[in-house]
Amino acid sequence: MSTAASVMQTIDAGLARTLFSWTLHAIVYFWLIPAYIAFYTIVPRAAGGRLYSDTMGRLSFVLLMLYSVPVGIHHLLMDPEHGTGWKFIQVLLTGFVTAPTLMTIFSVTASVEIAGRLRGGRGVFGWIAAVPWDRPVVLAGGLSFIMLGLGGFGGLINMGYGMNAMIHNTAWVTAHFHLIFGGSAVIMYFAIAYAIWPRLTGREHPSLAPLRLQLWLWFIGMMVMTLPWHWLGLQGQWRRVANFNYADPIIAAWGPWVIVSLCGAFVLLTSALLFVRNLAVVHLGTLPVRVRPLYAIAVNPPQHVPAALNGFGLWNVLLLVLMLLAYGYPVAQFVITPSPSAMVHRID
Amino acid sequence: MTQSSGSESHDRQWRIWASVAVLATVLSGILLGVLIIPVVQGRSAGIDAYTAICRALGVLPGSPARQQIVDRTPPTPVSQVVWTPGLLQVLADANPVRGKAKVQEVCSACHGERGVSVSPQFPNLAGQSGAAIYKQLSDYRSGSRTNQVMTDIAKSLDEATLADVAAYYAAQPKRNPDPATLAESPPAIVHLVELGDPGRNIPPCAACHRPGSGGPIEAPNLSEQGRDYIVAQLKMYATGDRRNDVYGRMRTIAPKLTSTEIDGLAAYYRAGFR
Repeated sequence: MSTAASVMQTIDAGLARTLFSWTLHAIVYFWLIPAYIAFYTIVPRAAGGRLYSDTMGRLSFVLLMLYSVPVGIHHLLMDPEHGTGWKFIQVLLTGFVTAPTLMTIFSVTASVEIAGRLRGGRGVFGWIAAVPWDRPVVLAGGLSFIMLGLGGFGGLINMGYGMNAMIHNTAWVTAHFHLIFGGSAVIMYFAIAYAIWPRLTGREHPSLAPLRLQLWLWFIGMMVMTLPWHWLGLQGQWRRVANFNYADPIIAAWGPWVIVSLCGAFVLLTSALLFVRNLAVVHLGTLPVRVRPLYAIAVNPPQHVPAALNGFGLWNVLLLVLMLLAYGYPVAQFVITPSPSAMVHRID
Repeated sequence: MTQSSGSESHDRQWRIWASVAVLATVLSGILLGVLIIPVVQGRSAGIDAYTAICRALGVLPGSPARQQIVDRTPPTPVSQVVWTPGLLQVLADANPVRGKAKVQEVCSACHGERGVSVSPQFPNLAGQSGAAIYKQLSDYRSGSRTNQVMTDIAKSLDEATLADVAAYYAAQPKRNPDPATLAESPPAIVHLVELGDPGRNIPPCAACHRPGSGGPIEAPNLSEQGRDYIVAQLKMYATGDRRNDVYGRMRTIAPKLTSTEIDGLAAYYRAGFR
């Protein structure tokens, strides 16, 4: 920041990258939280079921907070400025974030299963057909989970030091974050918007079919755009370049998949325009809203919630401890043994 | 036991066990990542435990799992010029008037008083980038670049004079380009200048050698430059006889150019391009 303000003329690249990574992962989970809130609080009610476990939900959010913040160095696994020990610690902490993710998948699926069975679904998988998929929020939840499964799997690969070395700086990384954020998180943003816009405006969606169409187009577009993109990353297509020279035969072989990806992007564009249209229709519509309960009730509503799960005091302290242990020396080393600074190149 | 103290002890249990679980997680990470794994890996690489742990922490450089090849030969940089804020200040503070006096005394015999050289083998310096002129003079002085005439001349000047001379020539106006030359450029050469050849990993010449292009600060502006001089420099880069280009950029590019292209580029840059 001081370099950007022209107070300093040099920048310590290692420190800048470390501080950036510190905030980066926390930021992406910040974006993820609304989607998870919707999973726990809105989707079960929309499906007509109950939240499988209140406690599990609270625990999930707490664990997400603890294990998504002091883990930024997993974005610097290929960087030379940190010792392997710190990379290991932060990768271990990153690994623990699979726990709340799996817990969420389990409890939200269980909540939707409750809805399915309440509607007469039978058998090990028969309840799936009985779930009211015609409701946009429920549909979005289901599509989001499919993308979460694929994107989350990609995240596990990124997290593993050796596998990360294979996909570092390739198109796999861009495909991953488009799928996981643009896919599973953003589709839930759409669902939240569809759920609360009528309550905000006092007007109802005249028809749910365009909403479902928009969600399906988003899902299809995202899958068509990102799955070939993942594949190209595995082929070695690099990222962070301005253009590709398709005269090179290796790069030319990637061309058709890029075009497929591009088609997916156009489907996404259509879906985005349709989303705006759907909200505009509510905003300008005249049908009065039928107010329905929005938030889910747990199967066993808690009589007493432990103070630890009803506030952030304890977790803030633990998070501070984790941050000091995981990031203390990695940041302090730039003060203790300063590295050569880089000149700032300013564009006049 | 009353309800409130029961729930209080329940809360305390949660706090205690939560703290234990979280601390156990991070401490096991520290134990494995900083102590156990580096020592075990180091053992099979012949690295002692203390060094392995220091490397895992980043206190010592290198990997705890591999012997690093330690090359004790001091690196010899291709140029002694380092573009520090201090040096940039020296260039900014240079005095072109003092530079003019020195030019009239020493440089104009070959490079002309206005920077238009008297013979095609000597480079034109009119309107050339001050940083580029300074770097070449400095390289002659330090021996990073050698020339029968320039080495002795540069060694007789001090650093402030180098900056003054560079500033003087940088301020000289360029000649008007010959329109006929501009029209003659073959498309292949223009393509090489504007777009490069990615198939041979040759970046566009204009990416660095055009004013305002954003290339390295020492990249000379090539317009209105002597044809023979450019051909000679490209050939010297190709053979490695000239090696004061930072990161070996020109020594990477020049060997890939055919002699037709070298002639074509020299003809292209004989004209002036703004």
